[in-house]
Amino acid sequence: MKMSLSYDLFRPYSLSTTYPLAGDGACSGNGPESVELPLAMPSPSLSRSGKLAGVAIVLLLVFVFIGPLVWQQDPSRQWLSQISMGPSASNSARLVDNDSLWQPRGEVQTAVVHSANTEFVRLQWPAVEGVHAYQVFRNFAEQSGLGIPLAVSRVAYYQDELQLAETRYRYTVKAEGSDKVLAEWEVTPEPAMSRFEAQLQGLPEQSGRVILPAHPLGTDALGRDILARLMAGGRTSLMVGLIAPCLFIAFGCLYGALAGIAGGWLDNVAMRVVDFVIALPFLLFMILLRVAFGIGPGEDGVFPLILAMVMMSWTGSARLIRGQVLSLSQQPYVEAARLAGMGRLQIIVRHMLPNVLPMILVSFSFAVPSAIFTEAFLSFIGLGVAPPSTSWGAQCNDGIKTLLSHPQQMLLPAAMISIAVLAFNTLGDALRDAGDSRLRELS
Amino acid sequence: MWTFAFKRLLSGAVTIWFIATATFFAMHAVPGDPLTRDKAMSPAVRAQLEQRYGLDKPLVTQYRLFLGNMLKGDFGISFTQENRRVNDIIREHFPVSAMLGITALLIAFIGAVAAGSIAAQFRGQWPDRLLMMAVVAAISVPGFVIAAVAQLLIVQLNNRLGQPLIPVAGWGGFSHLWVPALVLGLGTMAYLSRLMRASMLEVTNSEYILAARAKGAYGWRLFWSHQLRNALLPVVTELGPAIAALTTGGFVVELIFAIPGLGRYFVQAVQQLDYTVIMGTTVFYGAFLVIMVVAVDIAYGLIDPRIRYSRGR
Amino acid sequence: MNLLNVENLQVEIGRGPNSVKAVRGVSFSLAEGEFRALVGESGSGKSITGLSLLDLLPSKSVRRADRFQLENLALPNQHHGQWRKLRGNRLAMIFQNPMTALDPTQKVGWQIAEPLCIHRGLSRRQAWQRAIELMERLAITDAEKRAHRYPFEFSGGMLQRVMIAMAIACEPQILIADEPTTALDVGVQQEVLGLLNELRESRGTAILFITHDLGVVAKIADSVSVMYAGQVVEQGPVETFFTGSTTKELHPYSKALLAAVPDLSGGKPLQGIAGQPPDLRRPPSGCGFAARCSQRMEICDQAPELFHDANGDHRCWRWHEAFQTYLSQQGQVRGAQHD
Repeated sequence: MKMSLSYDLFRPYSLSTTYPLAGDGACSGNGPESVELPLAMPSPSLSRSGKLAGVAIVLLLVFVFIGPLVWQQDPSRQWLSQISMGPSASNSARLVDNDSLWQPRGEVQTAVVHSANTEFVRLQWPAVEGVHAYQVFRNFAEQSGLGIPLAVSRVAYYQDELQLAETRYRYTVKAEGSDKVLAEWEVTPEPAMSRFEAQLQGLPEQSGRVILPAHPLGTDALGRDILARLMAGGRTSLMVGLIAPCLFIAFGCLYGALAGIAGGWLDNVAMRVVDFVIALPFLLFMILLRVAFGIGPGEDGVFPLILAMVMMSWTGSARLIRGQVLSLSQQPYVEAARLAGMGRLQIIVRHMLPNVLPMILVSFSFAVPSAIFTEAFLSFIGLGVAPPSTSWGAQCNDGIKTLLSHPQQMLLPAAMISIAVLAFNTLGDALRDAGDSRLRELS
Repeated sequence: MWTFAFKRLLSGAVTIWFIATATFFAMHAVPGDPLTRDKAMSPAVRAQLEQRYGLDKPLVTQYRLFLGNMLKGDFGISFTQENRRVNDIIREHFPVSAMLGITALLIAFIGAVAAGSIAAQFRGQWPDRLLMMAVVAAISVPGFVIAAVAQLLIVQLNNRLGQPLIPVAGWGGFSHLWVPALVLGLGTMAYLSRLMRASMLEVTNSEYILAARAKGAYGWRLFWSHQLRNALLPVVTELGPAIAALTTGGFVVELIFAIPGLGRYFVQAVQQLDYTVIMGTTVFYGAFLVIMVVAVDIAYGLIDPRIRYSRGR
Repeated sequence: MNLLNVENLQVEIGRGPNSVKAVRGVSFSLAEGEFRALVGESGSGKSITGLSLLDLLPSKSVRRADRFQLENLALPNQHHGQWRKLRGNRLAMIFQNPMTALDPTQKVGWQIAEPLCIHRGLSRRQAWQRAIELMERLAITDAEKRAHRYPFEFSGGMLQRVMIAMAIACEPQILIADEPTTALDVGVQQEVLGLLNELRESRGTAILFITHDLGVVAKIADSVSVMYAGQVVEQGPVETFFTGSTTKELHPYSKALLAAVPDLSGGKPLQGIAGQPPDLRRPPSGCGFAARCSQRMEICDQAPELFHDANGDHRCWRWHEAFQTYLSQQGQVRGAQHD
């Protein structure tokens, strides 16, 4: 039986299924007699927004492919000392020796800060008679209140090693069970790095200091440079977004063309297969296929992702091309070519290709954002690329964990996805509008 | 009409069968025995599963067993949550997802109809430009980003107010529902708005609207009885895909807002490779979506007399 | 007394330098029971003239007129709220293509009943009853059943009857019919024309019949207005139009139109009119037809006014010249008689 359900759109939305926006020529007839008015011919060149989108796409490609040549940080290098940092310039840090068992020598008469750097802040205060335990609080200096309780200490000193940044902190010490403030400091830790990490990263030491690289966009929750990661992630996202559509459109075209040329029962069977695949809910089966293909050891998961996408997405262009082949083969000029003794392949190349090519171009430019979206969705739910490879979607997945404290870790890759999708969608719109009316029907 | 509905239902049933089959073979394409992957499974559960799914038997037998179970509506037992039936998981968590999805769909549909109508009414003027810019933005931003940003904004709002005005996550009354539903519906709303605007423009420029105006119809009467009904038709046909988008979009929204819906369990099962849950839920979702599309198709037939009559007779 | 008086109607569609001057001076009147044909090529502004009578012009358009009067009522300004009470009530319109001019999702009965609900304040049930009566009057058989049907279930001729029923539901004084027969078969055309004719005879409805079919005009119209490039170039009673008026001289465009009517006897070859009508975004300053006119004179670079004689109006220098000659001849004759 014929499967006539229309599931073409069990897939992420794109602008492709809708009409052009305001201001273009598609519905310029505003009045009843508009047919009698001279209508402006649609300009054959790209609209301004289309050109802008093209520039944006070129910039994105330059960013992800040329960018790493300029910005040579390793995107998967982790900096223990620089976790979730904001933007920072290149600076030098003092090498320090971490010692979590630090103890001061002797007692003090007044509250003292022994050292304050981003690895540790060492505090000591005069012991108070009759106090069993001291409560130590830390807050940002500009905020009121005690802030987070760091510890309950039985001794009159404390070493704070908890995610210190180069901002001004206020420490407060109180006796447990009392509101009396025993000591209070305002401290700005100086940049520092543990000798251990410096050795691990292989940083050269220069008179007790090391030079830390700049992080123009800060670092993520594992201390990796976000800028470098955006470039690396974009490479994956855009590659999936460009290669997958190339493959499935190529496959679909071939399939559709063959079915259309073969005709008869072969065509019938081929189109039933298309109906079946179209009937599958797209994202659901993308998930399923990704699970089924799995990721082997040492693989980054890009290939199974593209494979799954090709398996689910080729049907649209297959239908398109088959329809075109069928309708074109009825055209008088093709008929004439056949009568003139042209071979099948010759007819196809000579007559059908120029007719079909613009359509393929438009559907390609709409398939790209859709593929980028799909990759992002799958990566976001943890089915995308495997570390150490990364993609914008995977970075969003990483970033969501620290969303509330460091939103930029999620928002930056999210913005990249949005810009890419917007650019490709706009370009697709512009291409379609620049084409002839047949392309508009394609939408 | 009835023939039309019957045909639709029949092709829907075939589609569901196909989805089940595809799911089965996709899961059996997983390299190796799906059971060997999970080392933590207790021998008792393992034995039970092997017996139940006939994993030692040939593929055809397994397939028959699987189809039989699906027909009975029995999706098996979870691999990772011992002794929890997939049916129970679906029964318990799907209503939450459905509640979220229906609310999102309502928001999306009503919002899109309103926004599309307004944009068409003010075509080329600032309300139109503003709305269409918002639409392009909403379509270009992935759903999970919208959800995350919404959550971030709620936290900041609550911090600013000093009291939790809107719950950040979780599930409960209406207060837990509306933000995730809005977030979920936003992309669909944007998409449908564009469609609604285009269709409204087409209707407004049509000759029958001119004729209706020539009769003296104007304002709301014209809008309700002539423009809206005709403009809605193409939007209604898109409701099937819209439901599909809301269902899969629900996965991430439930994840981010910690809503105990089926989507979240599905994603968790996928991450933990809980095969029975993945298979059961996929077939369930597939069937659900197919039924929704069939329902939308039939509903469309009810709205558009041309389809109702031409296909029914 | 005339029902409708229109003097020097001007319509400009769109704004700025590229606006289309679609109507550039149209004057005519309609008496009770008059059947006036408005003839012209497509793009000559005849449909726009019709639409402006119902204030249904496109939103970005400007309408001006020296006189725009329905009986004693000066027709309101553009987009004025008063139009809502006039449209479909005292003035009604029949559209060219009934297939596209009826709402595809509404029952035919309701579409006929709608103006009654709007203007007569009838309840839906009363209006429905009236709609069925109207359908019966227009010879739609099985009206009660058919009222429940949708437009796509009707044939074109049937739908045009529905359109007419819809238009005359409130018994308008003036009916504007915009090429109502163009989209129909010849047989059905005759029926529709018969219906319209009966309407004006039984109720005295004045009909402005927009068409490019001169055959129809000859058969049924009382008076003719010929439009070209947004202007009335010639108008008068139908008898004199076909024979030529006092001077036996016609506007060259009218002549060309008459020559373009296919002659079924096969006596003479079919003649088209060479050339294109002027671009109405930049209308010519002189006579609009001059560029295509075979009898062009030097003076034609100046805009001719609408000259009058006893039988109608003519916007043509050539006609004016002929008329002057005729007058002087008459004068000589009269002078000779005086002698």
